[in-house]
Amino acid sequence: MNQAKRELTLTFDRAAVDLDALQRSAYAMAADVTVDIRVLSTEYVCTLFPRGHEASADEIQHRFRSEVNDQILRARIAKETEPLRNLVFALAFSQTGLVEAEGEAG
Amino acid sequence: MSSMIKLERSATMLAPHDWQLLPMRFHRLDPDSMVLTNLVGEHEFVTSGELHDVMDGTCRDQELLARLRAAHLIQVPGETLPAELLAIKLRTRMRRLPDSTGLHIFVVSLRCEHTCRYCQVSRQSSAKQEFDMTEETAGRSLELAFRSPSPHMKIEFQGGEPLLNFPLIRWITAEAKRMNSGYGKDLAFVIATNLALLDDEILDFCAAEDVHISTSLDGPRDLHNGNRRRPGQDSWQQAVAGIERVQARLGPDRVSALMTTTEASLGRAAEVIDTYADLGLRAVFLRPISPYGFALRRRGGANYDVDRWLEFYTTGLDRIVELNRRGLPMVEVYASIIATKMLTNSDPGYVDLTSPAGIGIGALVYNYDGDIYASDEGRMLAEMGDHTFRLGNVHDSSYADVMLSEALLNPLSQSLTLSAPMCTTCAFEPYCGADPVFHHATAGDFTGHKALSAFCRRNMGVFTLLLRRMRDDPYFRDLMRRWAQC
Repeated sequence: MNQAKRELTLTFDRAAVDLDALQRSAYAMAADVTVDIRVLSTEYVCTLFPRGHEASADEIQHRFRSEVNDQILRARIAKETEPLRNLVFALAFSQTGLVEAEGEAG
Repeated sequence: MSSMIKLERSATMLAPHDWQLLPMRFHRLDPDSMVLTNLVGEHEFVTSGELHDVMDGTCRDQELLARLRAAHLIQVPGETLPAELLAIKLRTRMRRLPDSTGLHIFVVSLRCEHTCRYCQVSRQSSAKQEFDMTEETAGRSLELAFRSPSPHMKIEFQGGEPLLNFPLIRWITAEAKRMNSGYGKDLAFVIATNLALLDDEILDFCAAEDVHISTSLDGPRDLHNGNRRRPGQDSWQQAVAGIERVQARLGPDRVSALMTTTEASLGRAAEVIDTYADLGLRAVFLRPISPYGFALRRRGGANYDVDRWLEFYTTGLDRIVELNRRGLPMVEVYASIIATKMLTNSDPGYVDLTSPAGIGIGALVYNYDGDIYASDEGRMLAEMGDHTFRLGNVHDSSYADVMLSEALLNPLSQSLTLSAPMCTTCAFEPYCGADPVFHHATAGDFTGHKALSAFCRRNMGVFTLLLRRMRDDPYFRDLMRRWAQC
């Protein structure tokens, strides 16, 4: 850790982690850190800039890694369930009259 | 539709890999405890390991699998009933949308004899009658209000202090009932008043016309009078006397009270609850202060953060639960709204906790001068010079102008939780709302950055609190089930 600037660096294997998960994690933790993400040949390098000094470096790093893991899990669930999600929404709104209304308007 | 329905497998035991996930989201309540929610907010509690086992198809805990299946979080491949049931429940939750706008707020006067610290509107002295709504404006407002397709229509009289223009309240009530003979709506009336001007004539009117009274009560006398100032420093005494008169004349259920949490309230949650209990008021709405208007001044009472409000809320909720355990039935209104969303298929349509947002769709505000706003908070912003949520004026706007205005459709479309960053993957999305007015006021856009949003942080805190309590305390879960029916 760079004490003066208080930067924390974490690396993630590109074969194991999607850039989307890192970006979502950075967004979700924006109250505590801002994040710079650089893409190298085999890894992503995330530089975390804590906004305050309340949390320790270890704590912030654990939280970011945990958030990334949760985002990966969320992406996996979303991918596996997307067809059923679309089916439920299609069924839910298939009898609302919206289709007819669009047809009349067109 | 019936041809799509197949009987569920009679066998209840599931072999490994004999299930598939239904759309779900998760939130960590504690490091190793999660809540899973489906598209309509049905939920179950699991550990991280259990979720991974379920996702990997290796779970052998038949009791857990049965619970997840009952909550429509997993299904057996080939089943069609779960998706159909989820669709029906989703449509049920959205049914308020085509029947839009049940609440119509008439600001019959901007005058007020109180000078509350946190008042969000530009209060005017009691003598300035140019700040009263006229019959002509009220009549045009009613014409617009009756255009709303909702079969329910609640007219709420607000101010200022609406009783300062009581003759117009009489006129609007009579006119609305006359007009309703052609519409047949379920019509209701509420006067939101500080009760200082309550007299027998007003009580007789409320009794005859079945009018409900909503008032403000911030808690014990010193706290209330410190927040709500008037000549004589007797706002609390006037409110309490008024509540008792209404209860005696109209019945205990015809008056309700709202409190606003100021900095001075923090640390006094139990006293607030006890004040309500002593007065026979059975519902308390522990509300944070709205970040608008005079509330933002140094002495406006808004100088506290979300964590301090959550501490206040938790203490107040604990007190209410304690009173229930002792046999005194009391309800915390915000928790009961959320309970309805967590434990039933209904959506109570509370403006702050709906998506699409409740602005316009849930409520319309007719200001004393005929200006129409998408919500009461939108009117408050206008009093500060921000007219973003002004949808038109009753004297020159049609119903279509109002409901199809960009001032309404832009914030609705830009704040949808099903497309907002972080909300899309949030397990609490079925319980939460969009609130574009709050985010416009605090972040400068209708969506806001949820990681930085006090609205998001506050509601995440409340949802987490309620779910933890339901997970750990069977009595609290039963209480939430009862509140869900309120």
